[in-house]
Amino acid sequence: MTEISRRALLERLGVLGVAAIAGGFIPGTPAGAAAQPLGLHEKVDDAIARLFGGRPMKDGRGTVTLQVPLIAENGAVVPVSVGADLPMAPTSWVRHVYIVADRNRIPVVTRVTLAPEAGRAFVGANIRLGETGDVRAIVEQSDGTLWQVRREVRVTVSGCGG
Amino acid sequence: MAEIGKVRIRVPSSIKAGDVIQVRTLVIHPMERVERDPQGRIVRKRYNYVNRVVVTYLGRTVATFETTQSVSENPFFSFTLRATAPGRVRVQFFDTRGGVWEGTADITFS
Repeated sequence: MTEISRRALLERLGVLGVAAIAGGFIPGTPAGAAAQPLGLHEKVDDAIARLFGGRPMKDGRGTVTLQVPLIAENGAVVPVSVGADLPMAPTSWVRHVYIVADRNRIPVVTRVTLAPEAGRAFVGANIRLGETGDVRAIVEQSDGTLWQVRREVRVTVSGCGG
Repeated sequence: MAEIGKVRIRVPSSIKAGDVIQVRTLVIHPMERVERDPQGRIVRKRYNYVNRVVVTYLGRTVATFETTQSVSENPFFSFTLRATAPGRVRVQFFDTRGGVWEGTADITFS
């Protein structure tokens, strides 16, 4: 009787321990960040600092594919897609894809949260660009590794008005 | 803007079990952009824009897009999923005025 309850207790402790480690180490989106709105009027450097807190980013060239037009005739609708040549397995997957437009008044365009069931790290979106500037894609793996690529888009007609 | 909330969703016409397929979706929505007064100050009001898009397949959330006003009017998104079994892909768009717009597509194997 005491032996069984001791074992059960240890098993439960083990589960709790794993949960605590996972909670502590998976960067993901902390509750504090989720409560804050994603899009603020801010400089792109402030946005990056707010989202990633100075964590190192690897150069994503060769790993992350950012497709943007060289010249956007109409800044109101600019097709952007991001793909990453990284695993999408339950043990290691691409957790987040960020699209950031450096020169927009609201630089953070979207944060996409993916599950391994997506099968491939790929997202596309039509975005607004206020003026000529870099568009970047930041990819975050489930272990917290960050990859970044950027590409300049020339904008003929602004898409943000005001 | 009479059409607001109309959702379109497209999956490939021919899918085999285990394929990673690309799904494309859009909603008719104004995605109101930030307005400024003549002095260039931001007009404070509750802008109506889509700020969350949730994709579920076989009852599991596959992708969630958190979006800002830097996304175009009539927002368009694409993503992939691994078609493991016949079932329904559901895309829900949530806007800042409490609107929920939903579209579905059935995945069948040929």
